[in-house]
Amino acid sequence: MTITAKLGGSFVDADLSADLAAAALDLARRFHDGATLWVISPQWEPHAHHVAVEFVHPVIMGKRALPSVALVEPDPVAQARVASQPGDLLIAVASADEPAVVDAMRRAQAWGVLTLWIGSGPRPPAGAANHILWIDSDDPMIPATGTFVLMYHLLWELTHVCFEHPGLLKPASDECTDDVCVTCSDEGRLGEVLLEPADAMSSALVRTAKGEEWVDVTMLGDVAPNDLVLVHAGAAITRLESEVTR
Amino acid sequence: MTESDNTSFLYPFIESEETDATSLLADLAASARGKASESAALQRSSLDEYGEELIAAGTEMADRFRRGGRLYTFGNGGSSTDAATLASLFSRPARGRPVAAWSLAADEAVVTALGNDVGFELIFKRQIIAHARDRDVAIALSTSGNSEDLLTAITEAKQRGLLTIGFSGHDGGRMAVAEDLDFCFTVGSQSIHRIQESHAMLGYRLWSVAQDHMARPLNGAHAS
Repeated sequence: MTITAKLGGSFVDADLSADLAAAALDLARRFHDGATLWVISPQWEPHAHHVAVEFVHPVIMGKRALPSVALVEPDPVAQARVASQPGDLLIAVASADEPAVVDAMRRAQAWGVLTLWIGSGPRPPAGAANHILWIDSDDPMIPATGTFVLMYHLLWELTHVCFEHPGLLKPASDECTDDVCVTCSDEGRLGEVLLEPADAMSSALVRTAKGEEWVDVTMLGDVAPNDLVLVHAGAAITRLESEVTR
Repeated sequence: MTESDNTSFLYPFIESEETDATSLLADLAASARGKASESAALQRSSLDEYGEELIAAGTEMADRFRRGGRLYTFGNGGSSTDAATLASLFSRPARGRPVAAWSLAADEAVVTALGNDVGFELIFKRQIIAHARDRDVAIALSTSGNSEDLLTAITEAKQRGLLTIGFSGHDGGRMAVAEDLDFCFTVGSQSIHRIQESHAMLGYRLWSVAQDHMARPLNGAHAS
């Protein structure tokens, strides 16, 4: 009994092709603004390497080489945390239950990093990444059939098409660009603690999508480096418990 | 006024004056579906073209695994990562029986030592010399079929009695006519991307056949 795998291309329907298109435009916009693309795939390291080499050394002569690096150390969250800067990109190729990827995708918001998540099987919850590019199949062999390879090949090909449309690489007009934006100022922003307060009266240094800032953490009591907190008006108002046992 | 200033009114939505992404996104999505269809059609035709050879090669691999043989995979660039994915499929499958397999590009110390000391074209051959036993299997992946480092390793592997399998592309290149390859699966496409996607599917079929075969009792085998 030889089991036949479903051909990767047959999964690319109207929804997935629209998701790939939107993701490619965001990738192109961020690259245009100087982003570096970080790639993690704790279960299938070679996929991380393939994505990175695709962007760094394009198979089509004359296409731009773009900065992209596979992060394959044992702790990809720690590696992505220190590598990434606001404006960067993070692609994960992983199942929805991969703990390090769940954690990295969530923290990326505090790092100011745009996230893409490629995978198969049960989907991550909506909003778990900026772009979820998913193969709705419970076949556990999907990662070895070329289907993920097709997905990131398409992503690369579409991204380079976007570079031919410089007018569309500027930030979308509805994006927040200033401090008085109602959405931004009234909402808690996700932050990751860099330095705990020196004493009870001091602030903690917190990293948010905007960069580093000193934040009043007296409402929370003790905070430790890498804690995730919600920052509002210069103060940390909530600590987000980690869903991941590390 | 330059010529482009004079004529730009004819093309109000191109290049830097373009502001609405709607039509681009629709084009991108259509392009993705078109390329995905090409990819699936090529995978289908590659599987059909090599149906019998894939069964023969997968069966021979299974026989070698049953004798304690192991699999070495190798390629350059994206193909090296596909070689690594293929090795993981054999050594760490989501289901079925794992067998010893690894990618010869996986160890940066070995690859850089050989590349620096003896030359890049020998990075795989020297590892074949070091590791190979006559019951082993070598699979080389190249979208051109012309990579020197792969071809020298294949020749060495054949001389040492390994089963040698090549995945090639375009017109098959030198791999298509290499006498040292027991099997050569050429994916007839001009697109490196589409070739790699088909290589993955052909590799998956080899694995399926080998798994299938390893799950059967050996003919004439008796517990003694």
